[in-house]
This record gives sequence, structure tokens and C-alpha cells, in this order.
Amino acid sequence: MESRQSLTARLASWDKSISEADVLLPIPFHLSEEITTETSPPVDGIAALLKDRFVIYKAGSCTESIPLAEIESFAFRQGIGCVFAECTMKNGEHRLLCRADMHYKDLYAAALKEMSRYAAGEDIRYAYEADVNRFCPKCGRPYRPGSSICDHCAAKKDYLKRLWRLAKPYHKHIYASVLLYFVLAGVNLLPPVINRILVDDYIQAVDKPILWQFTLVILSLFGVNLISRLLSMLRSFTLIDAGNGIAIRLRELVFEKIQLLSVSKVAKRTSGELMNRVSNDTSTVQHFLTHDLGNMIEQIVTLLAVGVILFVYDWKLALLILLPVPIVMYMHRLFWGNTHRRYHRQWSLESKANTILHDIFSGIRVVKAFGTEKREEARFDHAVARVRDTSISNERFWAMLFPWLGFLMGIGEFFLLYYVGDRILDGTMTLGEMSQFSAYVSIIYGPLRWMANIPRTLARTMTSIVKIYDVVDEEEDVSDKKDATDLDIRGNITFENVSFGYDNTTNVLKNIDLTVRPGEMLGIVGKSGVGKSTLINLVMRLYDVDEGTIRIDGVDIRDISQTSLRSQIGVVLQETFLFAGTVYDNIAYAKPSATREEVIMAAKVAGAHPFIMKMPDAYNTKVGEKGYTLSGGERQRIAIARALLHNPRILILDEATASLDTETEKQIQDALQKLIADRTTLAIAHRLSTLRNATRILVLDKGQVAEIGSHEELMKKQGIYYGLVMAQRQMSKMSPKNTEEAE
Amino acid sequence: MSDTKTSLDSVVSIVYITPENAVFEEKNHFLTLQLTTTKEDGTSETANYDRVFLHRSFPYDHPEAYISVQDGDKNEIGMIAEIGQFPDSTASLLRGELARKYYSPVITAIHSVKDRYGYAYLHVATDSGEMDITLRDASRSMARVDERRVIITDIDGNRYDIPDITKLDRKSFRRIELYL
Repeated sequence: MESRQSLTARLASWDKSISEADVLLPIPFHLSEEITTETSPPVDGIAALLKDRFVIYKAGSCTESIPLAEIESFAFRQGIGCVFAECTMKNGEHRLLCRADMHYKDLYAAALKEMSRYAAGEDIRYAYEADVNRFCPKCGRPYRPGSSICDHCAAKKDYLKRLWRLAKPYHKHIYASVLLYFVLAGVNLLPPVINRILVDDYIQAVDKPILWQFTLVILSLFGVNLISRLLSMLRSFTLIDAGNGIAIRLRELVFEKIQLLSVSKVAKRTSGELMNRVSNDTSTVQHFLTHDLGNMIEQIVTLLAVGVILFVYDWKLALLILLPVPIVMYMHRLFWGNTHRRYHRQWSLESKANTILHDIFSGIRVVKAFGTEKREEARFDHAVARVRDTSISNERFWAMLFPWLGFLMGIGEFFLLYYVGDRILDGTMTLGEMSQFSAYVSIIYGPLRWMANIPRTLARTMTSIVKIYDVVDEEEDVSDKKDATDLDIRGNITFENVSFGYDNTTNVLKNIDLTVRPGEMLGIVGKSGVGKSTLINLVMRLYDVDEGTIRIDGVDIRDISQTSLRSQIGVVLQETFLFAGTVYDNIAYAKPSATREEVIMAAKVAGAHPFIMKMPDAYNTKVGEKGYTLSGGERQRIAIARALLHNPRILILDEATASLDTETEKQIQDALQKLIADRTTLAIAHRLSTLRNATRILVLDKGQVAEIGSHEELMKKQGIYYGLVMAQRQMSKMSPKNTEEAE
Repeated sequence: MSDTKTSLDSVVSIVYITPENAVFEEKNHFLTLQLTTTKEDGTSETANYDRVFLHRSFPYDHPEAYISVQDGDKNEIGMIAEIGQFPDSTASLLRGELARKYYSPVITAIHSVKDRYGYAYLHVATDSGEMDITLRDASRSMARVDERRVIITDIDGNRYDIPDITKLDRKSFRRIELYL
């Protein structure tokens, strides 16, 4: 992406009346902003905020110049595959300024925000540039999202060095196994030599061989074989130890790092991707270390040793043997692409058929209910038929190709046979020598075939190593300051002019000012997506605010250690998550030291005790992925018990009782009421009756504080809250047995 | 089926924007709309919108049908059943607005694909010239929206359209086949 400096210089060169100092913020554009059906060629455009006006230049000439005095604010709008810059004039009119592709999305969003600030009389800050320029200065390729390493330019050497350092406790193992490989390769070269001696000196001997010598030769063959097996066993053991040890260390390293990262960094990657980093990529490295690396050393050593022997013995013969090698390797490459493509196609069709099957089975109730069995059957049949056709075609291809490949591979042996046969007839070579030679030939062909795979194996492993270190090197954005303190929270929460957005295109919360006193219960209401959950996420410091400050008891939460902060906040979230384990484990999750009595008490307050006691295994009932299936309401009650046991100073309830029927909700609320007397509670609810005990209600609208006050005050005001209350009353009139939400 | 339609009809209705009740014009590079609606009591009312935005309901299989007309806050004003209903001048204005909002170069050939460390770098020819595209996780970035059409989404969120994969030349097709 072109830098601000370079854009400024180009603009100044286009129009001599503009000095570089006048240009505050230039943005490039290359798509036409006109409404037209014609495909227009790319434009070379620069739009820029100058000190007193906004100008637009296309290919060197000015197309628009708007005095800043007429502009109210700037805005960013996203199209599909493109972004727009707009402005609102003081007279209320809207103007479209320019348009660019998504490459410039972050730049446009951030730059237009700054332009608006400037229009409102504030200074422009260029801090966003660091976020926007996510490109490697060396090659211009984008960084992996959230990281600042260029995969392309990252020196492989550095990663290997780091891996080597990580493997420090296993260095001895590795040295030992490399040594073993050399010894083993040497030992494996012996049997053909012994064979030759056997054939030439004994089997074909003119004189009757001496029996004990003959026996000795046989025994040495036996011994060499035995030693070879033992050595390879020993080698495998050493390597397995080292490989597994290193892989585990890598796995721990990645996992620890992921745990340390903030929610926003983790959320950038899917959980599947993270699972891949922790399991698959480390497995790839492990497989490389335990299998591929060893193989590679062994094959290379063997190749070199046998190659040298062959050339020293008879270079003409060696050349003959190696003659078909390039042809075979070329064929291998050629067919590998084709085979890979074919099998990939088959694999993808198979997985498609499986997906359909999985889909139908999981939705079997819907299929049955709508009577669409026949249609689903047809869909599956069609998918399976395609798998069958591809599979037949692939098998035929193989059946045709394979024998020819084998034939070609074997051509070298025909050459050998011809040459050697000739020499034996000449009498310049013995039968034993021939057997030794053919043995070496078969030994050398193994590594050669295998060599073709080395680049792929190396690339795959390198990819995994780079990906692993990409996570490991991720910067922690929400991290504790060096002098972060542990604070005994009393529960005073203050928001000072807080703004926050998950990305820089939109602000979810705007200029929030708010004080919650200790012991107060603040209800938070507002439409979906208005920023309610975001507000509490900020209190928990799952994210850091973009602007402003959040203080607890007067201390900026960025100065409080995260452990101290979170250990004093209890949360019940909208989506309650139960870990695989027992009911007891789940309640005691945040306080493993809790006594059984405490757990039961917490469950009682949360209204969970009665249903827990109805289950056969009560508190020892397994829940989670493979366990007992609890209803939404039951899960919520367990989550509430978990939060209460924690004995938090600040209690956060995000739709904590939404899945409960009104009666149970009321019981829990009354119990909670006694508990929350001396702690600060933030409660989000759609069902307003949930907030009947709230001291004050905060109404959020479009990310801002719309109304705040007690229930009575807000009702008197007849604003948004009043409207919500009235609408819900209307609803309850419509159905006398109201709000009996299904569990 | 007709029963279903009438029953849904009694609850909701689609406000259709037609050549009879609407005038679209271009002003300040924005699309403006003057819409006349007839109320239940028979009187008619004219609303003026100084900028409206179009949003496709079926961007892939019916790009010109059921176009939602929205105001600046993305609230739907009404729907255009089919752009073809409008006289040519208006229809091309609407098509132009759609073409501007939905920017997706059409890929005509794929010159090279390099896959490295989970990223794929494509060099392609499009109707707007040669382009270099960077994809994160190539297989996930190439979506088959139907039997023939493929939409490629790059690392920044740009979209590239291959309307008919079978019409790509053989070499181009082979270069991306593995990711599909």
C-alpha cells in the first residue's frame, strides 16, 4: 500500500499550488465513483484532506474541491467488494467522495474517522497507520492476520534454530540417533559383500571349502542381520523419545500462548484453526522428527555410500544403473500431479457424500416431518453415483499406469543384466560380484524413488513450524502492565468517555459516561446489537477500550492485574458453557477449594439443587459433550451457582435467567437479592420483569447512553424504556399464561 | 400452495417499487427516489429520498430480481420485483448503481497459483485487467455457489467472480481444481 508520504508527494507534484505541508491526510482510490454499467478502467486517484478543504484528483487533475467549512463530517460505507468515502455537508446534503476495493477497507475506515475528528476541530492522529499497513515492507505481501511476521520473508533458518533450541533437552538423543544412522548405513552395506564372498569363495570354489570357514561366513551374515535389526530398534527408540518430547513441548508452548492471548486475538482465528495449531501442526512436526528426518538421513547416507562404492568399483556400470533414474523421477513427478488431482477429486466427492449423509441424519426429524425422504434419497444417490464414477475411473487409470511404471523402473536392471552378463562371459567379473552389484542396485533405487518426496515433506513441515511460531510470536494486546496491582474491589465502576469497536470500521460503543456505585444493581436494556454485551466485556477487560477509561474504585482497569480483576468478577453469560465433567466440577470450576457444603448452598441459591437431586447421580452426574443432557434453564442455574460460589464483588448477569420460566426466575431473583446486597451487579435482560430489583436502569441505543435512572423515573420520562415496558405489557395481555418459555 | 400464499398475504406484504409509483434519478453520485404510495383510505402520499441504496436478495442466481431499496440506515423502503420492468434509462441507472455497489472483477484466466504456508498467491486476468490475489486458505476462499459458478474471496474481502468454471481454459481450471 502506498504510504501517506508518497501520496502527499504525488499530489503536490500534480498541483503545484498545493504544498506538502498542506496535505493532512491523503487516501488513494482507483475505482470510479460514477454510476455506470460500463466496466471502467482503473483510475489513478488521490483524495485528500487539506488544511482548509477536501480535494479529489483523478490522474493529475482536480475534479472536486470542497471547502472544509461546509463539511459536517466524513463517513465510511461498505459496499460488496468495495468501500466508499462519503461526507455529510453542513446543509444536510450527502456527497460521495471516492471508492476503492476492499484492500483499502481498514485505511478508509480509520482515515475517515480521523477526518471527522479534524472537521470537529480536533487534531489528526496517525496512530492507525501501524494497524493499516499490515504488509511486509520487503515483499509487499500481507502479514498473517494478527501477526507481524511475513511468511514469505521469514528466514526458515531462524525457525529451525528456534526449534533446535527448544529441543535442547533432547540434543543428546538426536546426536546419538544420527550416529546410529551412519553405523546402520554402514552395517547395511555388509551383507552384499558377505554374499559375494559366499558365492565366489565357497559355492563356486574350485577346491572343496573348509567347513568351519563356510559356517563362519554364514554366521557373520546372520550376525550382521541381527545387529542391523537391533541397531534400527535402538535408533527408533531414541528418535521416538526425542520426537515426542519435542512435539509435546511445542504443543504446550502453543497452548500456553493461546491461553494468554486476549479474546479479540483468539476470536480472530476460528477454534478449528487453533485446534489445528495445537494438534495437527505439532503432529506434523512430530512425524517429521520421528520418521521423516531419520529416513532422510538414512537414505542420504545410504545413497552416498552405495554411490561411491559403485563408482569406485566400476564407473561405467554405475552410470548405466543411474541412466534411467532421471527418466523415472520425471515420470514420477508427471504422474504424481495427475494422481494427486484424481484422488483429491475422489476424496472431495466422498466427503461431499458424507456431508449429505450427516446432514440428513442430523436433520432426520425435519426430513420426516416434511415427508421429504424420497428427495433426500435422490440427493444422496446422486452424490454416491458420482463417487462411484470417479472411483472407477481412478482405479482404471492406476491399473493402466502402474505396470508401466514398474516396467520403466526395472529398465536399469536390464542394462545391468546385459553389461554384467557380458563381463561374466568375458571372465572379468565373478558371479559373486554380480550378486553384490545387484544388491547395491536395489539398495540405491529405494532412496532415489524416495527422494522425489523430500521437497514436499520439507515444505509441509516448514509450513507447520511457521504456523506454530506465528501463534507463539503473537503479541499479547491485553496484557498486564509491569506495575499492575492487585486490588481489593469494593465495586465502584466508572466509564469515562469510553468508545470501543471490535474493528476500526464501526464503533459499537460511543462516548459512554457512567458511574455504578458499590452495591448497586444496574439493569442494562436495549435492542439486540446495541452494545450491551460489549459493555460488560469491557468491564471484564476481555478487550481494551479504544478511547476513554474504565475505572474500578478509581483505578484504571488497565492498571489492575487481570488475575486480581477477574477473580473478583462473577459472570453468568447468555450462552452457558459446561465443561465435560460432573455437575460438581462445573459448579466448583472457579473455586476448586470449595467445600461440598458450599457447593450445595450455591446450587440452592441458584435454584439448581432441586433438579440436581432428581438426577440419579445427583452432583456426580456427568455433563458436557458426552454427558447428561441438561435443558437451557438447568444449565443457566448451574452457571449461576458457579458464579455465586466464586463470591464475586462484581456480579455480571448477561441474560442469565432468560431460559427460565417466570416463577423459577422470581425465586432465584429473591435469593439473589439477599446476596447482592453488598455487591455491584450489572444485569442485561430483554425481559424487563427480570430487572424489577434493579436500582437503576441503563438504556443503550446505537451504542450510546440513551436513558438512565430508576424504573419510576424512566416511566415518567416516557422515552425508550417506557415504550419497551408498554410493549411487553401488551404482550403479556395477549397471552394470559405469559412468558412460559419452553425449556 | 396458493393457500399458503394467501395466508401469508393477509399478514405481511411486499411494497413493490414499480415504474408506476417510483421515479429514480441520479444526484451527487447518489440514487434518489420519489415514491408515491396509496394509503388505505385511497389518498396518495409522495415521499422523497435524497439517497437510496440497492441490495440484491439473490445475488448469485437472480441478480436483477427482488432488489431491496433501502434508505441510508438500511431500512427497506420497498422492493423492485425485476429491474427489466423499468424503462431502459431507469433500468440502466439501477444496473449502474448495482454494478458500483457489487464490485467483483470477473476472472477470465488464471496464470499461476503459488501455495505457500497456508496462503495462495494467484496471478489472474480479469475484465478489469491483470491482478495479483492473495488468499488465506485457498480451499476455503473459493466457494462454489452452484454447479458452475465460483466466487473467490481474497484476504481483504475482495470478491472475484468465475461465472462458469467450465468455460475457463483447461490450464486455468487445473490450477484451481484442487481447491474446489
